[in-house]
Amino acid sequence: MLEIRNVSKRYSGIPAVESVSFCAHAGEVTGYLGPNGSGKSTTIKMITGLIAMNSGSILFDGESIYRDLMSYKQRLGYVPEEPYLYTHLSGAEYLLMVSQLRDLPAKLAIERIDGLLRLFGLYGDRHLSISSYSKGMRQKVLLVAALLHNPDFVLLDEPFSGLDVGSALILRSLIVELAARGKVVLFSSHELETVERICSHIVILHRGRIVADDSIERLRALMSLPTLEGIFSQLAVEQDTAAISKQIADLIHA
Amino acid sequence: MHDPSGMEKRQFRVLYREFLLRVIDLELLSADADTARLLGQFAALFAGMSWLFTFWLIFAGSGLSKIFLLVMEHFLIATTMIVVALLSVFCWDSIFPDRRDVLVLAPLPIRARTLFRAKMAAVLSALCLSVVSLNIFSGLIWPRMFSITNGGGLSGMSRSMAAYWITMVLAGAFMFCCVIGVQGIASQLLPRQQFLRLSALLQVAAFFLFLGIYILEPSLETPKALAAPENQRLLAWLPSYWFFGLFQQLNGSMLPVFAPLVRRAWIGLGVSGSVAVFVTLRAYLRTMGKIVEQPDILPGTHRSNWSPRFGALLQTSIVLFGLRTLLRSKQHRVLLAFYLGTGFAAMLAYIRTPLRRLEIFHRAADGAADVSFLVASLWMICFAVLIVRLVISMPHTLRANWIFRMTELREASIYVSAVRRLLLVLAVAPVWLFLAVLFLSHWPTWTMAGHLVVLALVGMILVELSLNGFQKLPFTCSYLPGQSKVHVVFWGILLVLIPLIGARFEDGILNHPLNFVCMIVVLGAIAACARWRTNSEAKLAEQLIFEEEYPPEIFGLNLPRNAGVPLTSSQAADQLQKML
Repeated sequence: MLEIRNVSKRYSGIPAVESVSFCAHAGEVTGYLGPNGSGKSTTIKMITGLIAMNSGSILFDGESIYRDLMSYKQRLGYVPEEPYLYTHLSGAEYLLMVSQLRDLPAKLAIERIDGLLRLFGLYGDRHLSISSYSKGMRQKVLLVAALLHNPDFVLLDEPFSGLDVGSALILRSLIVELAARGKVVLFSSHELETVERICSHIVILHRGRIVADDSIERLRALMSLPTLEGIFSQLAVEQDTAAISKQIADLIHA
Repeated sequence: MHDPSGMEKRQFRVLYREFLLRVIDLELLSADADTARLLGQFAALFAGMSWLFTFWLIFAGSGLSKIFLLVMEHFLIATTMIVVALLSVFCWDSIFPDRRDVLVLAPLPIRARTLFRAKMAAVLSALCLSVVSLNIFSGLIWPRMFSITNGGGLSGMSRSMAAYWITMVLAGAFMFCCVIGVQGIASQLLPRQQFLRLSALLQVAAFFLFLGIYILEPSLETPKALAAPENQRLLAWLPSYWFFGLFQQLNGSMLPVFAPLVRRAWIGLGVSGSVAVFVTLRAYLRTMGKIVEQPDILPGTHRSNWSPRFGALLQTSIVLFGLRTLLRSKQHRVLLAFYLGTGFAAMLAYIRTPLRRLEIFHRAADGAADVSFLVASLWMICFAVLIVRLVISMPHTLRANWIFRMTELREASIYVSAVRRLLLVLAVAPVWLFLAVLFLSHWPTWTMAGHLVVLALVGMILVELSLNGFQKLPFTCSYLPGQSKVHVVFWGILLVLIPLIGARFEDGILNHPLNFVCMIVVLGAIAACARWRTNSEAKLAEQLIFEEEYPPEIFGLNLPRNAGVPLTSSQAADQLQKML
């Protein structure tokens, strides 16, 4: 189980995340939502150990992740929001490098890389340089890199970005399947429809604070709203979206 | 309302400014680098060189011999040519439209001719700026001296001045056209993907070729040497002498020996200019579409999963990552070529005199090498380690280093041992092998074998020294240029001086077996101590470094962007705590 307790982070004195607390249980998909700039990616980077928090604690299976960060990283599979990859390497070279850095035996690594690339439809392009990959292909490389070592905790930040319909459907089922196999899955996305379909539990962040942390059914019942979009709009969207779109159209016509 | 010619002019101005600031390949610079400032620094550097060529005339007076003036004329022409040639090599990818230009600019309403004109104008402006700044002092003072050869007086001086500047501009244009011509012909003859691969090699080869010719070309400026039949073949292949002849023609100091050189200069200008214009126009008009259609990288369908092993899996992955990055990153490859070229040039300049006297062969007969070759070989090892260490410190796709942070599962010392292997594979092994083949083929003696052992030990010591405080992975850590400069200058000076002294010491010891064994033992002990120190330092490090930070003496105030809004007491306390 992943447990976030009163985590805060400030950049140059400006709070990005304030006293965030929530849990993500094994066997369920936890959706982590929030508008742009709400502190979502900051929290995720703190969970990965990439940035340090100012206060609070992050526990995995009851232990602080900083107690033995290396073993924690061994159990974590992470897909970042931006597909930053070493584009001078080929897909196969990049994945082999990741497997070697994770100390996976060579034979097992090659078997898994080839198998996963085949299943993601990237096998034929594995020797092309990543610089020639489309956004979706890069996203697939990130997904394979995150799953290669069979992690206990899968952290996905906008994993559907750039994927074609077929791959998105595969990934959607895969996320549910990974949770069903007892893994902790924390999933951040702006695609509310997908979140609604696959997440059993959601956490909504707004201006660095948690504004909702419950199952979708209970939130629907509590707020008397039929969809997650309605709940999200009520909790995290402050603007009159229709009025703003009208203003934009007016401005470009002026 | 809509004025197409006015729009085209405005587009030209915008593009010209953009291309001028990008004329040095932007990939060579860090993301925050100021290109305008860099161009200014280049101009100042060239002006400084011009001042160096000129200021001593104040003390020398006007009593310079005619032969010396001829040597100086040739030197100034050759220097202008090499500077323009090297800049053209640096501007390599700025001359032709690249994929980024096409993809960004093609959807905009910009004509190909506007793009072409803006790009050419930007590149030519940069080259003119470099020719002018390189000759800003010498081009005003030296023509006064050169006018002695054309009768002197005010008219002679004016003619010399005009001849000097025209020659310099034409010599620079010739070099620029040659570089464009080679690149353009390759781009037209080869499929785009193969051209992109060859282009990188051509760039590095051109760099070494130009530097090599500049340093090794013999001094043949006297009329006697120019007329000597044995020199005619050489002169026919040395363009700096063609333009030396052209200067004499324009200056009115023409002698019959210059006639063939002048002819070659005009033919060379015509041919290189025509080829450059033809291939550039063709590249703009016919290959723009291909750039969009074809990917930059050729698919490799028949590759296997095999890759060489460099120790454990983790070490192998880091060494392979380093090798692949260095081979495939244009930025790092060009930097490596530049630094190696400079080191190579310094070394050649040092050994040039004995080479010309063919001392190498005389001493070979005695069974011993010249001290200058011992110095040169030590320099090669020193330069190679210093340069490779410098190049691997420069980041590549810094934002992608998250994968190394996420997979940092072992203690720092294991990663440091992987970097050690990389330095040995990249810097020490190639130079040592090259020198071993060179030395043992020329001097197959025990002395030389002994020197090779010394070189290997020196290489190992240098690798350990270069790992001092380097708990980083190659190409993955941000860097502080100011701090790096100080380190490089310090080590650069040290590594130039130590081989100069050390080689003389070694020369005295190589033929005395007992002393030699003692030296090897001492060097071995130093290498072992240095390695122990690196390992203990790495074991103390908690984690690898991915962000270079300023020393703690410098505190950032971290003022909030909305300055003026006072901090709350908790924010102030937080910041104070951070600073302390």
